[in-house]
Amino acid sequence: MIIDFHAHPGYSHDLKGMRAEFRPALRAAKHHGVDWVCLNALADWTESPTPARMRKANDAVLALMADYPDRVLGFCYVNPRYPDDSMREIERCVVREGMAAIKLWIACSARDKRVDAIAQRAAELRVPILQHAWYNARGQKPSESTPADVAAMAARHPDTMIVMAHLTGAGERGLTEIAPHDNLSVDISGGEPEAGMVELAVKKLGAKRVVFGTDTPIRSYGMTLGKVVGAKLTAREKKLILGENAQRLLGRRLAR
Amino acid sequence: MIVDAAAYLGSWPLRPIEAKVSDLTNTMRENRIKAALVSPLEGFFYADPTPANDRLLRRLASRRKLWAAPIINLRMADWRQRIEALAGRRQVKAVRLAPNFHSYEVAEAREAVHAAAEWGLATVVQLRLQDERSHPPILKLPAVPLAEVVALAAAEPGARVVASAARLAEAQAQAEYIRQLGNLWLDISHFDGLACVKQACEAVGAERLLFSTNYPFFYARSAALKIQEEELARGQAQAVMAGNARTAFGIS
Repeated sequence: MIIDFHAHPGYSHDLKGMRAEFRPALRAAKHHGVDWVCLNALADWTESPTPARMRKANDAVLALMADYPDRVLGFCYVNPRYPDDSMREIERCVVREGMAAIKLWIACSARDKRVDAIAQRAAELRVPILQHAWYNARGQKPSESTPADVAAMAARHPDTMIVMAHLTGAGERGLTEIAPHDNLSVDISGGEPEAGMVELAVKKLGAKRVVFGTDTPIRSYGMTLGKVVGAKLTAREKKLILGENAQRLLGRRLAR
Repeated sequence: MIVDAAAYLGSWPLRPIEAKVSDLTNTMRENRIKAALVSPLEGFFYADPTPANDRLLRRLASRRKLWAAPIINLRMADWRQRIEALAGRRQVKAVRLAPNFHSYEVAEAREAVHAAAEWGLATVVQLRLQDERSHPPILKLPAVPLAEVVALAAAEPGARVVASAARLAEAQAQAEYIRQLGNLWLDISHFDGLACVKQACEAVGAERLLFSTNYPFFYARSAALKIQEEELARGQAQAVMAGNARTAFGIS
């Protein structure tokens, strides 16, 4: 089984546009043998969306889950700057509508205390959090998390399953920083297909803490899949990365 | 038959990379790549890339399917003699220029492009080598603008010019001009995004694109799989994977 743990429904601001953009993505996923696509919509890609925009983004993902019930899992996108709205959105999307995880992007650093209630609720619901992180040599965005920030979050919430996005953005330093936290994995999405990075992640974290994700449509399915298929790893390790680890993290929600 | 238009050997100071001929040939075999155009990584950093080029040529000497694109620094006074000397070597099919590494304007390369063409060589212009987000502070190199390479190719219609490592959006922005040129090709090493190769074919035409892995920086399998993302017409795929490289590099 192959699970894309990190995908977006496109750049459009409305559901009609997202549906049109997502069709070829799903076709490409199928072509490469991807069974499940985990979708999160980033509310028009604004850094700190209002609650209304957050709800609209999640509505779109819910619609796509309904369109493709046996191919798409939804991740609930929340903005911790609006703690009450975020908690309400988690209840609506995860508890009632069956979304499989929570997505945190760059509205708030992973170190921010406003993340704590969300992380705690994720642990109670046994759903993972997909948290963006990057070490950007050109400078971080104001509230953009680094791998060290995500490591601090994992330390504060040892019962929460966290997947840090963007292996390439983490680099060797980021992997070293997150390595001590067993509740923290990394997804291989984002960035260029830098040779050796997936092997390095396996060496630092173990194959059970590395998860396949594409960041489509920003990245190509083939290109991202090539990072795993082309890596010098055992067949068993590749199987874990491509699907089994995500299957374990998503648990029963995968078989909704 | 697959031809890789952009591969490198040697070491890179900004990442733990040490690419040997045996590693490259193993990677080529694993990915069914029959031939590759190779440049020496050290040549980007050496003021005079000649020693790096010499080492590369020695490494490739007995390899019939590894062709060389030595690096020329146009800041060196003897660049013309360097090109002339390289043109006599069987393995050399192109010269690679890196205006941002060696600090000159693309337009200044016109004479060199003309000279390379006269000696039967293609000119590859390197736009970038590493994601700009990971450049160290002392080496922040803005990418060479593709538009300037397009203008260079237009100014030298008798030369064969390859723009290496353009991004898809850059190619799309220049598509109207690229389509008008019969002597400019783009390697696909840095194209990314959903169905990127198909989008590039639609923008500039499949006949303008060259398969390339960017080995050893990238997983070669990523290049192989991204070309399969959306099924290209059979003729288009063959052109991108090998046919265009024959024309661009004058390979029989």
